[in-house]
Amino acid sequence: MSLGSIEVLGRIAIIGVGHSKFGKRSDASLRELAFEAYSLALDDADMDSSKIDGSVVCSATHYDKQRSPAGVVAEYLGLNPQPTFNIEAACASSAVGLRTAWALVSSKLHDIIAVVGVQKMTELSNEEIQELMGRAGDVMWESPFGTTMPAYYAMYATAHMAKYGTTEEQMALVPVKSRKYGSKNPNAMFQKPITTEEVLKSRPVSAPLKLFDCCANADGAACLIIANAEKARKLTDRPVWVAGLGLASSPMSLAGRKGPMTSFDVTKNAAKTAYKMARINPNDVDVAEVHDSFSITEILNYEDLGFAKPGGGTRLLEKGETELGGKIPVNIDGGLISKGHPVGATGASQLFALTKQLRGEAGSTQVDGAKIGLAQNIGGIGMYAAVTILKA
Amino acid sequence: MGFEKFGRFGYVSQTKIIPLLSYLEKGQIAATKCKKCGRTYFPPRVDCLDDRHSAIEWVVLDGKSSLVTFTKIFFAPPAFQPETPYLLGLAEFPNGLRVFAPISPAVDEKQLKPGTQLSLKVAKGSRDNLFYWLE
Repeated sequence: MSLGSIEVLGRIAIIGVGHSKFGKRSDASLRELAFEAYSLALDDADMDSSKIDGSVVCSATHYDKQRSPAGVVAEYLGLNPQPTFNIEAACASSAVGLRTAWALVSSKLHDIIAVVGVQKMTELSNEEIQELMGRAGDVMWESPFGTTMPAYYAMYATAHMAKYGTTEEQMALVPVKSRKYGSKNPNAMFQKPITTEEVLKSRPVSAPLKLFDCCANADGAACLIIANAEKARKLTDRPVWVAGLGLASSPMSLAGRKGPMTSFDVTKNAAKTAYKMARINPNDVDVAEVHDSFSITEILNYEDLGFAKPGGGTRLLEKGETELGGKIPVNIDGGLISKGHPVGATGASQLFALTKQLRGEAGSTQVDGAKIGLAQNIGGIGMYAAVTILKA
Repeated sequence: MGFEKFGRFGYVSQTKIIPLLSYLEKGQIAATKCKKCGRTYFPPRVDCLDDRHSAIEWVVLDGKSSLVTFTKIFFAPPAFQPETPYLLGLAEFPNGLRVFAPISPAVDEKQLKPGTQLSLKVAKGSRDNLFYWLE
């Protein structure tokens, strides 16, 4: 990393954010969901469409009925003839969308970009979803054995349990915490708290993971308006700066990965870059959003991001250190487990939550004096991970 | 029939790695090896990462492996639903290469843990399909 590129950082800001209600949105199409988030982001930035000079539409397009959805989304948002295209990195699509927008703006190719994360999943039949889910892994060497998305994460859980003595009761603390905060988030799919017992009694999906250890497919959209420093200072008095961007990859096949399968190298590598760019260490983070696609994932994420030592993730959880008021509040917007997981919108949803926190606008879940926020977004079964650091 | 014959339900039919099927038909598990540098690949691949222009040869593996991790699937993709629940595992050969494979239902599930010694064996499906699993 050259010093030059570090110097550029801090000059790109999020100047507006918008978030639709997530969940089973049988009232709205893909383009309408995108409009909800985009319109709220324009309101938030107190600007109109005329200033947006390009859109980056983030979606795992295999879930969409619409082929190449950037086409209809840009049309419906009134963003023709400005450039538009799709970004796809599975569940990390809109974190990669922010990275793309950062490059477009810092290169001076554009001044203001709308990053629109959107997904319409519940229109697909269960059969279609399950068929797609079956091809989430390496389609040549792993899918032919009947893999599923939860199965891959369950295999990490089995390994973590064997190495560190992690229990299903400890894993259940993740959904219990998530749903407690989900009840305070009006955009969340699930707004009712649940108990450890309910998690443990839910039906098995892929052992040791049970239904309430898993996030749910959902419809929804989230939007970020990105601007260079000059425009940001002109247009808003509360910019949130993009201070660190880490993105890494891992082999898609599980057989191609090394080690005891108790951590994600992909997260560690992305975090290393992001911390270095932002010139901070894990202790400096005031509030975090991590990818809790499954209960075990959140525990691994604590360790991989350096919030806890290897094997220490459950202890952090048990001590309440990741609750509001703890050392490092995590997913206090409810996380994927409460909000639902409209794949392409999730990364932008995390950055929406951090932006609100860093501006001091998070209401009943505000972390006092939050200045530095971190979002970690895993793509698919762990072949991509993005770590983004924002500063007030 | 092409490579879709591989697995309990194959998705990919066209590949350069199709000779694997003739080894599986003989009851053998085979890896590929670069003729120039000797690097071995499993799952097999025809392109060596170190010597991009060299040829590969096939080598038979004895299948001995150590379990790294596993899961039991209760909620499966459509083609696999009649078999649920079933076990999937990740195992490591003595040479450090790894294999992702089903675990035979004949294996006592209670004995499974990271480090359990297993053997990768050829299995035949009911639709003339061929695969391997851990026994």
